[in-house]
Amino acid sequence: MHDTQELNCACVQELIDRQLPEGGWPFTTVTTQWAVEPTALALLALPSNSVRERDAAIRFLLRTQNANGSWPAFSGDDEAGSGLTGLALYALNGCCALGMATNRAVQWLTESRGWESHWLWKWKFRTSDRHVRFDPDKFGWPWMPETASWVVPTAYSILALKYARGISQQDLVHLRIRRGVEMLYDRVCPAGGWNAGNGVVYGIPLAPHPDATALALLSLLNEPPNHFITSSLDWLERRAETCFAPWSLAWTILALDAFGRPTELLTDRLASVVDPTEINDCATLAVVSLALRLPAGETAFRVAHET
Amino acid sequence: MKLDRRTFLTASLGLAAGASTGALLNRPKYHVTRRQPRSRVAILRAESYSYNLESILHSGLELFHLDLRGKTVLIKPNLVDYIPGNHINTHPLLVCAAVECFRRLGAKNVLVGEGPGHQRDTELVLLESGFTEELRQLKVPFVDLNRDELAATPLLATYMGMSRLWLPQAVLKADFIVSMPKVKTHHWSGVTLSMKNMFGVVPGAKYGWPKNILHWNGIQESILDVCATVPVQFVIADAIVAMEGNGPLNGHPRPLNRIVLADDPVAADATCARLMGLDPTRITHIRIGAQFLGNASTERIDQVAEAVCTPANPFEVVPEFQHLRVTGSPKRDS
Repeated sequence: MHDTQELNCACVQELIDRQLPEGGWPFTTVTTQWAVEPTALALLALPSNSVRERDAAIRFLLRTQNANGSWPAFSGDDEAGSGLTGLALYALNGCCALGMATNRAVQWLTESRGWESHWLWKWKFRTSDRHVRFDPDKFGWPWMPETASWVVPTAYSILALKYARGISQQDLVHLRIRRGVEMLYDRVCPAGGWNAGNGVVYGIPLAPHPDATALALLSLLNEPPNHFITSSLDWLERRAETCFAPWSLAWTILALDAFGRPTELLTDRLASVVDPTEINDCATLAVVSLALRLPAGETAFRVAHET
Repeated sequence: MKLDRRTFLTASLGLAAGASTGALLNRPKYHVTRRQPRSRVAILRAESYSYNLESILHSGLELFHLDLRGKTVLIKPNLVDYIPGNHINTHPLLVCAAVECFRRLGAKNVLVGEGPGHQRDTELVLLESGFTEELRQLKVPFVDLNRDELAATPLLATYMGMSRLWLPQAVLKADFIVSMPKVKTHHWSGVTLSMKNMFGVVPGAKYGWPKNILHWNGIQESILDVCATVPVQFVIADAIVAMEGNGPLNGHPRPLNRIVLADDPVAADATCARLMGLDPTRITHIRIGAQFLGNASTERIDQVAEAVCTPANPFEVVPEFQHLRVTGSPKRDS
């Protein structure tokens, strides 16, 4: 099955078949424990004519939001909040599901920060712990509270804040976005691209990861062109030549396409390596679907105009 | 946590006072004792990664008289990332040899499971490090422990100050857990062996990529808590080509041409450390682990197959861990 639209329809049908009765998605087919990342990605991937499934997913995300405005990572998780809050908010924004939920999530995101920004840890990183090369004044978002900033939750959070509409405290939101963008530039790998966090440890450049790089680039979509973005796009294009894993390949296609780089050959390759029924991971299935939709002119990631 | 300067100074004074009466880490904080009177370790010679590993491993496993009939065996290799040319991961041929051996020993199910710490795309690591094809040929299921169903589990040691961890069901349901580390130095923990390898059971879906909470709460402390809570019943350590220097990702290959088997993770790690020319009593998690998780002393280890041969040149380590290196002439322990 190599026709991308036909393949995407099969992906969407798989997603619909795997939706849990309460409206969310689990990571894998062996469990019914819902998780926010596959749920938000599936919501982004569902076409607008899947009205019932999208409504169920929206209601599910709104229902599972924590009292403090964040989202848990999965069913049973504590209520302190997770680094997937930005993704959940971004998915809801994409469906125009605005209101109190957005304001509470934005409030939580503006207050959430990597712990390297705490004065005690700044002092530690500037004095005794010099092996990780980064500027703790430039901080993003952590995977879970009371830990350091990492690239993926930072990218998800920047995307969410840039696309949030009708929110209060716009100056604060703008400032928080700037700080997150600075953090991404600070942590970029020397030859372009992003690893999970720092670009250099013990003086050795770390190898970038395709998915982290693609997500960081998507969150920087409306930033002024610069060397960090160009070198990361170049790296991603080179890395894509030997990438056959659906999750990484799909994220790569989404990022390159968003920046106007050619993706036809990569999309053909993605279509040749995936069989929707064989993809056990619902988050991967959703990202593959998002990538396969691009040739039809549908994108979940577009240029945002910062509030 | 709100921590102002006054609180910090008060806490610092408190810590200093605590340190003067004894190292905090040395205070027992475990609610389980897994240490047996004696442990068994076998060192096997293996010159290279080949399909011959199965017969080598099988002969080594016969020395342990394992009864695996009807049991579900979870093999936990060390799959961190894929960097061409770097010997980062447990070799797929060794993992597949272990799968075959445990099947021959009567295991009901044999699974391979891992939750890479940095790389979110587990399938990418599997594909590019050669696992996908090897596992497919053996029809052995792989479980991504980062994205498995999770259950809150009380910790059986509390060195890192947490009372529970979310752990994958594949780990909790396994009858027999086999840690298969790549023998490496590590720039944060000194070494990464069978005990540190168990970080991979801590799920990224909850704790992120990397599992940063384990670093903030102390790597040595976290290793102890995870290993107390998730019992490692057996170890097969890949020391055919080990890594020295700036491990776990950017060190240099160091061939040892050995596989280390053990029925005790502390004994396995202490023996691997000796093979690396490092002093296990100076490695915090091995030293503390020897109080309740297993045996580090050679007097409590039955060494079978080959003897421990300490190298003339200990493994290179980053400057912070120079004190681990044993200097002096090479010697045999037994």
